[in-house]
Amino acid sequence: MTRAAAMRRMDAAAGRGLLALQRCADCGRVQYPPREVCAACLGDALEWEEAASAEADLLAETTLHHSHDPAFAEALPLRVGLARLAAGAVAITFLDADCTPGCRARVSARLDAAGRAILHASPTR
Amino acid sequence: MSSYGDVVACAPITVPYVRRSEHDANWWLAAALAALLRASGLGKQAIDGLVMASFTLAPDGPAPFTQYVGLSPRLLDFLPTGGASGPMALRRAARAVQCGDAEVVACIAGDTLQPGGFRDLVAGFSSFSRDCVWPYGAGGPNQSFAMLTEHAMRRTGATREDFGKLCIAQRSNATRNPDALLRAPLAMSDYLGARPIASPLHLYDCVMPCAGAEGFLVMHRARAETLGLRAARILGTIERHNGYPDDPVQWRGGWAVDRDTLWQAAGIGPGDVDCVQTYDDYPVIVMMQFEDLGFCAKDGGPDFIRCHDFTIAGNFPHNTGGGQLSAGQAGAAGGFLGVVEALRQVTGTAGERQVARVWHALASGFGMINYDRGLCTSAVVLGA
Repeated sequence: MTRAAAMRRMDAAAGRGLLALQRCADCGRVQYPPREVCAACLGDALEWEEAASAEADLLAETTLHHSHDPAFAEALPLRVGLARLAAGAVAITFLDADCTPGCRARVSARLDAAGRAILHASPTR
Repeated sequence: MSSYGDVVACAPITVPYVRRSEHDANWWLAAALAALLRASGLGKQAIDGLVMASFTLAPDGPAPFTQYVGLSPRLLDFLPTGGASGPMALRRAARAVQCGDAEVVACIAGDTLQPGGFRDLVAGFSSFSRDCVWPYGAGGPNQSFAMLTEHAMRRTGATREDFGKLCIAQRSNATRNPDALLRAPLAMSDYLGARPIASPLHLYDCVMPCAGAEGFLVMHRARAETLGLRAARILGTIERHNGYPDDPVQWRGGWAVDRDTLWQAAGIGPGDVDCVQTYDDYPVIVMMQFEDLGFCAKDGGPDFIRCHDFTIAGNFPHNTGGGQLSAGQAGAAGGFLGVVEALRQVTGTAGERQVARVWHALASGFGMINYDRGLCTSAVVLGA
């Protein structure tokens, strides 16, 4: 499976149950999706911060009833949303059923069946 | 006086769309080129500039295409900007002709659609998309636009009925376009009762992928007159990429950054435009264009929709050939559809769907959902 180099670092952390986020060593910006340079200052000294989860605000949601990949057919309907991480970036994540826009959420990472790091948001209690 | 001097756009052509095609993209682009030659009476050797857009040309590209069709242009440009490519092609071609880098530029866009082709295109669209969007249910553009629509509905108070009104008006317009793939009249009950795709989007909110091609020519007015072609003046053009990068959710597009530049260049205002062709992959983006191009205030989209009639005979003729929502989305040709229809309207060659008295027309583009938003915006104002 083709995967950007920076994503493989996230995959490795998700395999240990951790969410890895990129932070620029020069300007401090946190960015997602991960990449090989900082989109703010173009520096390439990017550090990884690992945590069990990250705080986020849920900005938007959808419930998918159709997928282009048969692998998801049995899992439909699926809830997906846009979550703004407290650290600054916006992440597309799967959503818990009770996670709705305006809700404060906790975003964590796990591996899917294909070995990809997948983000998941659940409400903060 | 247009900043493009006496440069004009002319010869709008459409290669009729089909739901699926066994041809490759070279065939569709070649068919567009051939249609331009037929429409203009020009020979192939007269085309000395070529600006193209396509998603499905790989492993070929613009240079292989010149050999494929035996063309020797002295200017070649390729726009991998999908839905924004039409106004951008016109912009580049016009400046090239004005400055003498080419005499006659063919602008063409086309894509094929083979079984599984749309899935493959979406799955590998970009690295962000492949890695950080596709694994979340593989909903494709429907999924991305569903979230933008959900957010816009909460923000502006837009309802499904508002979006339905746009879709139904476009379908009404499409009944006069023999090239539209979807021509059966659409009732509000059909729209509201359609199956859900990605909430709040239902079937008729989503464009239908297909194969097809669009094209037009850019040249000096004197050349067009010699050829007997009706031509449009190019009054103003804009483009922007990754506008408003710090907005957490895309609630406005790059048009808002550049619209004052557009209207100032055109020497007219939004109220002087007689027909509008927006990029309509999903109706929420149509509403965004109404707002961001200055046809109404920001967040005034729902009221604007409720107060206007978007059919050909209405008080705001919009997507007069049915738009992509009724014609189909032929890949990158969807980025040309609006410009080509605007050219027909402003040159009085739209046939049965001609809007009465079109002095000015606007066409806008929107493309490239790379991650969470569309990155490319463009627009052009044309004059009769």
